[in-house]
Amino acid sequence: MLAEPVMTDMRAEYARSLIEVGRKNSGVVVLGADTTDSLKTAAFGKEFPDRFFNVGIAEANLVTVSAGLAASGKTAFASTYAIFLPGRAVDQIRNNVAYPSPQDKKGLNVKLVVSHGGLSVGPDGGSHQQLEDIAIMRAIPNFRVFIPADTITVAALTRLMASEYGPFYMRMARSKTPLIHAESQGFEAGRGITVRDGSDCTIVSCGITVRMALEAAETLQREEISCRVLDMFSIKPLDSGLLEKAARETGRILATEEHNILGGMGSAVAESVSESYPVPVRRIGAQDAFGESARDAEIPELLKKHGITSVNMAKQARDLVNEDIS
Amino acid sequence: MGLDYYKIKKNILRARKLVIRGTGAAGSGHPGGSFSMAEILGCLFGSHLRLDPKNPQWPDRDRFVLSKGHAAPGLYSNMAVAGYFEESEIDTLRKFGSRLQGHPDLKCPGVEFCGGSLGTGLSYSIGVALAARMDSRDSRVYVVLGDGESDEGQVWEAAMTAAKYKVDNLTAFLDRNFIQQDSYTEKIMPLDGILEGDDLSEMWKDASRWKTGDKWRAFGWNVIEIDGHRIEQIDAAIRRAKETKGVPTMIISRTIKGKSIEHMEDNPQWHGKAPDPAMIPVINMELDSQFMIAPSIIAGDMANLPGEIKRCADGRADYIHLDVMDGRFVPDKTFDHTKIKELRPLTGIPFDTHLMIDEPARHITNYIDAGSDIITVHAEVTDESGFGEICDRLKGAGVGAGLAINPGTELPEWSYKFLSDMDQIIVMSVVPGKSGQKYITDTHEKMARLAPLLREHGFAGYVEADGGINLENIGSVFADGARVFVGGGAIAGQHDARMAIHGFRDEVLRMRRRILLQEADRQGGREMVQKWIGLHVVGKKQEQIKKIAQEAGLC
Repeated sequence: MLAEPVMTDMRAEYARSLIEVGRKNSGVVVLGADTTDSLKTAAFGKEFPDRFFNVGIAEANLVTVSAGLAASGKTAFASTYAIFLPGRAVDQIRNNVAYPSPQDKKGLNVKLVVSHGGLSVGPDGGSHQQLEDIAIMRAIPNFRVFIPADTITVAALTRLMASEYGPFYMRMARSKTPLIHAESQGFEAGRGITVRDGSDCTIVSCGITVRMALEAAETLQREEISCRVLDMFSIKPLDSGLLEKAARETGRILATEEHNILGGMGSAVAESVSESYPVPVRRIGAQDAFGESARDAEIPELLKKHGITSVNMAKQARDLVNEDIS
Repeated sequence: MGLDYYKIKKNILRARKLVIRGTGAAGSGHPGGSFSMAEILGCLFGSHLRLDPKNPQWPDRDRFVLSKGHAAPGLYSNMAVAGYFEESEIDTLRKFGSRLQGHPDLKCPGVEFCGGSLGTGLSYSIGVALAARMDSRDSRVYVVLGDGESDEGQVWEAAMTAAKYKVDNLTAFLDRNFIQQDSYTEKIMPLDGILEGDDLSEMWKDASRWKTGDKWRAFGWNVIEIDGHRIEQIDAAIRRAKETKGVPTMIISRTIKGKSIEHMEDNPQWHGKAPDPAMIPVINMELDSQFMIAPSIIAGDMANLPGEIKRCADGRADYIHLDVMDGRFVPDKTFDHTKIKELRPLTGIPFDTHLMIDEPARHITNYIDAGSDIITVHAEVTDESGFGEICDRLKGAGVGAGLAINPGTELPEWSYKFLSDMDQIIVMSVVPGKSGQKYITDTHEKMARLAPLLREHGFAGYVEADGGINLENIGSVFADGARVFVGGGAIAGQHDARMAIHGFRDEVLRMRRRILLQEADRQGGREMVQKWIGLHVVGKKQEQIKKIAQEAGLC
């Protein structure tokens, strides 16, 4: 049995990590768009008032001002809700951040860090539930794209983004998330993490689906199906080597995400294994559909409507294994 | 310090020719918007931007951001003139493998911003300016926005942000040329007011309808409104912006799309179209045929020189011609440098000081300090070493250097070595000393002798015709090669100086059109003449040019 999860707040961890990197590096600047209280980045502004800019409800401006700061040597973190960044300012993200490439570099040094990704946004409804950001962001050259599963990952990736040059996109969840990793876990762009080993099937997950995948694996173990679980927090660059190994060793892959199945992490996984070691792949996620309102306690129901549950993961994995046997 | 007027003017001419060359070679591109901002970029690159073309990444440099990125040829041409790369590289514009991408790109060292998607340059400039402030660098950021791109909401997001953060190291220009891709801005999305008819001058003439400045003022900006083709106004606005603390500055520059090429001027067709390569020789000749009107205020009311200056300014004179006479080199006496200094604050129009005095080298510093922008001394009273010293002092002070010759004087041989650096040659067509004399017709032959000589010695400046110029002879004097015209009795002596200046311009324009038609004929016969006429589609230009062609027997 999995232990009861310890729930922690990604936004609080992001804000704490920002201050930590801000203390070490005076070139770190933070920008917000009237959601700095929600994103908790206002705390950075308290400590470093001259390195904090709130541009108001103006996301296009948020991205491009960040680009200008980055072009002059700053490490710019720009944050708001997912729906308002890739969902709104894709031109600025592409043309002002990703495209401009100073000598020997790729893109400008801007980190777009958002919260409120996916259906688990809850009560705000479908207009605010960003289910297309991964598809958008991974199609833009020079960007690296992360979906952390827990606060340990958030802290590590914030430090990583502050120290590695280039444009990054990181999507956090609104609600508290269960701790997955140990403090000692290392994180590297393009390196997935095997959170549970197994030999019959692999569930590739990211963000809130990592815990669900672990629960599904636990269920399947009781049925003597051995299920591997990967935390594919780095969606771009993708760990093709780890995926190939999983395909080779477990023969079946189930990709699970809180995103439209078109163009998301599942698509990336399918693209990768179809070229390296083709095996059956199934995808769980929003089936080319939008979300809707759900109070916090009802979010599991909303996720269930879209098949994003540990029960469905276990079912799909079981089917994959059985299909193969028959 | 003078304006460096002629240096900037020559740079702008070179840059315009490069725009034509580049877009002609590429077969596409945006000459119209490159030309409307040509003077703004000429002033910035020529005398204001602190930069080092050999070290484009110098951290303390000023930054230039071209928000209206489609005018890339205008940027590249100025960068070539400034020395970032060879002028010949403009031939690679928009071609595969070139650093000179269709829109400005960091691939080309010295370019600060990847423009193209409109409405984003101001936000970017704010970021750059904030970074400079954080790092306590005193570098400034200049950005040029288009009026069409002001349709973009992000421009106004940025406008609020710059005011909130008091980004006073940021100076923005609005290239207000009234034309965007589809049509006139006031038809597509009015910034000032709705244009009812098809006559753009309707908006130009009525200042009470200009609302763009109000918009920027309401957003908390320091707003300066200028004629964006007048070097002295651009220069003064940049200086004022530098001195303005606590708020960003927006310089609303009223400009003409396609400025300097008649058929492109105010013509929406030339937003994004390349010139026909066969037409380029004629176009270049037109660029070489820009001219200036310089009223001589001593022909007016000597007792009220401030009033004369005002009349010239109201008449949109290009220069104020100041005849300094010392009673020795010429019998008369007019005024000296103290009077010039007194008049200087009255106008920004360049002072074209003509020293008809003995021993000019001894007095030159006084005339520089008095605020002259161009100083011309007489060949009769100087020599090689004297003029060399004068030139050095003028160049060092940003003042244009000129040499004048009397009707009886030929250009002295000692002056040849200075010609390539010289800005102006005054060819006197009356005996200096008195206004109201008649034009000496022998001057035509003298100009004919002079022309090959100037070409041979690489003279890239301007010939100024001084003496007895009037509506009857100005056309032929232009045809001789003069490009600056001093108007004595025929302008300052007239009751309505404004109309007199207007008349001068019309006469020169008529002759210029005729010469260009002849050049078209020389390049490609009657077919080319017809094509040239056909290009002039705005207003009444086509009928007028057609008539000139008929009179000249060219169609």
